[in-house]
Amino acid sequence: MTAPLRRAHRRIWLALAIVLPLILASGLYLAQSPPAINAHWEISR
Amino acid sequence: MSLEYRAIYWNRDKRIYDAILGGSAGLYLAVFIGTSALLYPTATAETLIIRGAGTLAVLLLHVILAIGPLCRMNACFLPLLYNRRHLGVTMFLVALVHGAFSLIQFHAGGDVNPVDSLLKGNSFQVPGFLALLILFAMAATSHDFWLHNLTPPVWKALHMSVYLAYALLIAHVGFGALHSETNPLYALLVGLGMILLIALHLIAAQRSRDQEVAHRNDFIEVCRVDDIPEKRARIVSLSGERVAVFRYDGRISAVSNVCQHQNGPLGEGKIVAGCITCPWHGYQYLPDSGAAPPPFIEKISTYRVKVIDDRVLVHPAAHPPGTRLEPACCR
Repeated sequence: MTAPLRRAHRRIWLALAIVLPLILASGLYLAQSPPAINAHWEISR
Repeated sequence: MSLEYRAIYWNRDKRIYDAILGGSAGLYLAVFIGTSALLYPTATAETLIIRGAGTLAVLLLHVILAIGPLCRMNACFLPLLYNRRHLGVTMFLVALVHGAFSLIQFHAGGDVNPVDSLLKGNSFQVPGFLALLILFAMAATSHDFWLHNLTPPVWKALHMSVYLAYALLIAHVGFGALHSETNPLYALLVGLGMILLIALHLIAAQRSRDQEVAHRNDFIEVCRVDDIPEKRARIVSLSGERVAVFRYDGRISAVSNVCQHQNGPLGEGKIVAGCITCPWHGYQYLPDSGAAPPPFIEKISTYRVKVIDDRVLVHPAAHPPGTRLEPACCR
């Protein structure tokens, strides 16, 4: 791996270290509310 | 320059790698589906396949993303890196099974086009669908043909979108599976996998950075002269870069270990007719300058080398590709 590519990887993972826990935490927070239904599927029944 | 172009076929090592990979994936699915069928007798076969393939795809993606930093920290993981694309294609196929069965089970029974229903339905499915599209683009271009025709920088940029796919996958799991599966163990496992990957990548990056800073002005002892067989190389890692140190005709030169053609491991090749010859496709470079012999134009980085009392020392700063450096004498 070349030095610029290594730096790009480092920046990407620093960003992911912030974004990924936020995504997971949001998902878990919303999991406390009832899941949304698939409107199309419900209409088709 | 190619001494003799020869496409890479399935050799013995690749067959063993693929057999272990296929066997492990099959075993995982068999155990997962078998156990789930016993624990949840009311679940349909489609549901068990969706869950088995989904969890396997997530697991495989974690393994794939861990290989890079593990190789930078320890060279013994390198054989995994050379065949990582097989792992990636397998992961895509498993994810495709998960996606196809989900589409049939949850969207094919209504009066709306299944894809339309997916895009307008539950929000967690859209990130999963987008991740699958990225994985498809990567799997479809994983062959050397595309690496050659897209050129290595474009190909690498395309394949770095795996990080976006991973973020989409976390959203897909976080907003989907973890909603229906309320057992905290599942959230814990997903969180642990994520933390492990982030930690591995950041630790590997920090180590490379530390080495780069610490050795910026120092020659580093890499081996003894006798450790390098005549007309062969020893591969060493300097500041996170893999460097091939070649010994030939009483001289020693160091070049980047990465072939410009398809990133082949030059240090596993040998010197043929005075040129470093890549073991993958026979591309050649002069050991003192890293330049392909005229009329060819490929160039690789070179490194300064010293020999003191039978010890080989290499400076970690890479010189621009094609820069001629005086080889060290080792007679």
